[in-house]
Order: sequence, then structure tokens, then C-alpha cells
Amino acid sequence: MVHALDEIRRVLIKDGSLIDLRPLGDKWRVEVFSGRETRQTGNMTDLPAGVEDDNAANQAMREGERNSWFLRESEKLFSIHYIWDTASEMEEWIDSEWEGFVGLGEETRRATRSAWALGDADSRVRVEVKVLITRWKKL
Amino acid sequence: MTFQKDPDQNETKHLLQFAGFPGRRVLEIGCGEGRLTWRYAGKPAMTVGIDPDRDALRVATIDRPSDLEERVHFSNARAEWLPFPKETFDLAVLAWSF
Repeated sequence: MVHALDEIRRVLIKDGSLIDLRPLGDKWRVEVFSGRETRQTGNMTDLPAGVEDDNAANQAMREGERNSWFLRESEKLFSIHYIWDTASEMEEWIDSEWEGFVGLGEETRRATRSAWALGDADSRVRVEVKVLITRWKKL
Repeated sequence: MTFQKDPDQNETKHLLQFAGFPGRRVLEIGCGEGRLTWRYAGKPAMTVGIDPDRDALRVATIDRPSDLEERVHFSNARAEWLPFPKETFDLAVLAWSF
């Protein structure tokens, strides 16, 4: 990762910008929602591989700062939603696409299935994913 | 399966706000199938997307709109070894897949 940063620095002009855009594991909120109401049914679990990835990225960027390769100009944490029509579709997605990085505990699974099954006809399921965006200036 | 990612386009809004794409030469690292690329590719003077996954790049190339053929290119490469001369780009986007 640090070597990649050095390569990115090499191909950027002086004062060029690097945008770092990445998800940040933070016990993402799981909700069942409809036009009438929103109900939180639990939180995702941050798993070791995801935590390691976040730490490795943070560490590499800190090293880029220490080496005076890049200067942090601005940063913001924001949210995006992943939405599924049913609780089982959400489970299938998480178990295949996010395997090892974030997980869904049994209690949250049960609560989400139940809230979706008992919810309004237009109920859907969503996860609020935290995303960190940072702009770095090449020094 | 009916699935929506970021229907409010928050990711695009923040990317456009932070990056300042117009007229710049952009390198996108980890472009995959171009999911993010197509959200901004009309704005920079030139965009190069790199990814180690050849199949994903094939999809990105097929999806490339004809009016962007001259300005958007894809290359099979890794961030650890970028096949470009120094100081080729004004802006790099390091987009982690999720």
C-alpha cells in the first residue's frame, strides 16, 4: 500500500490531487423501512479482515503524510444506502459480497426478517454504509 | 434480486465536490467495471482507469459510451507499478471496491 502511494505520487504533477474514497467499517446500521416508518433492526458486525484493511489504509496514508508525500486538504465522512426488497435478499448479498469484511449476527438477522415480514406491504431493507472521502495534495 | 446502491447518489455528489474534474487528466485506480468512472467521465479532459482484473476491464470497455472513446481509456495494471511516465496526471482517484 505504501509502495502504491509512492507510485501514485510519481505519476501526479506537483500540487496534483489524490482522492481516497473508501468504506469505513463502523457497525453499519440495518433498517427496515417503508413509506410510513423506519425501524432499526440491528447493526452489522465489523470482521477482522475489514478492520485490518481499514487499519492498513490508515497506516499507509499516515506514512505518506510523514514522508511529506501528501498533505491532507479536506476530509468528510458520509453515508450511502444499500437497499434490498426483502430481508433474505439482503442476507444473501451480505453473505456473498461482504464475506469476511462485515457480517450479520443472528440477532440482527432474526430481527430484520421479523420486522420485514410483519411490516407494511412496501417494506424494504437497507444498510447504511459509512464512506470516508479525503483529498490529498501532492507535495 | 432487486438491489439499489446509493439511490440518493451521495457518493457521486461528494466525489464531484472533492475532486474538481473539469479539464483535468485523471487516473482512477481500481476502476473495475467502471461503476464509478461513468459518473464523472464526461468532465475530465482525459481519464485512464486501471485494474488488475482483465474481465472487469473488458466490461468497462464494452460499456464505454462512443462519445468518450477518445477520452477514456483502460489499462490492466496494479497501483504498485503504474505504467505511466512521471507527472502524467493532475488527479488520482483511489476508489476502494465495496
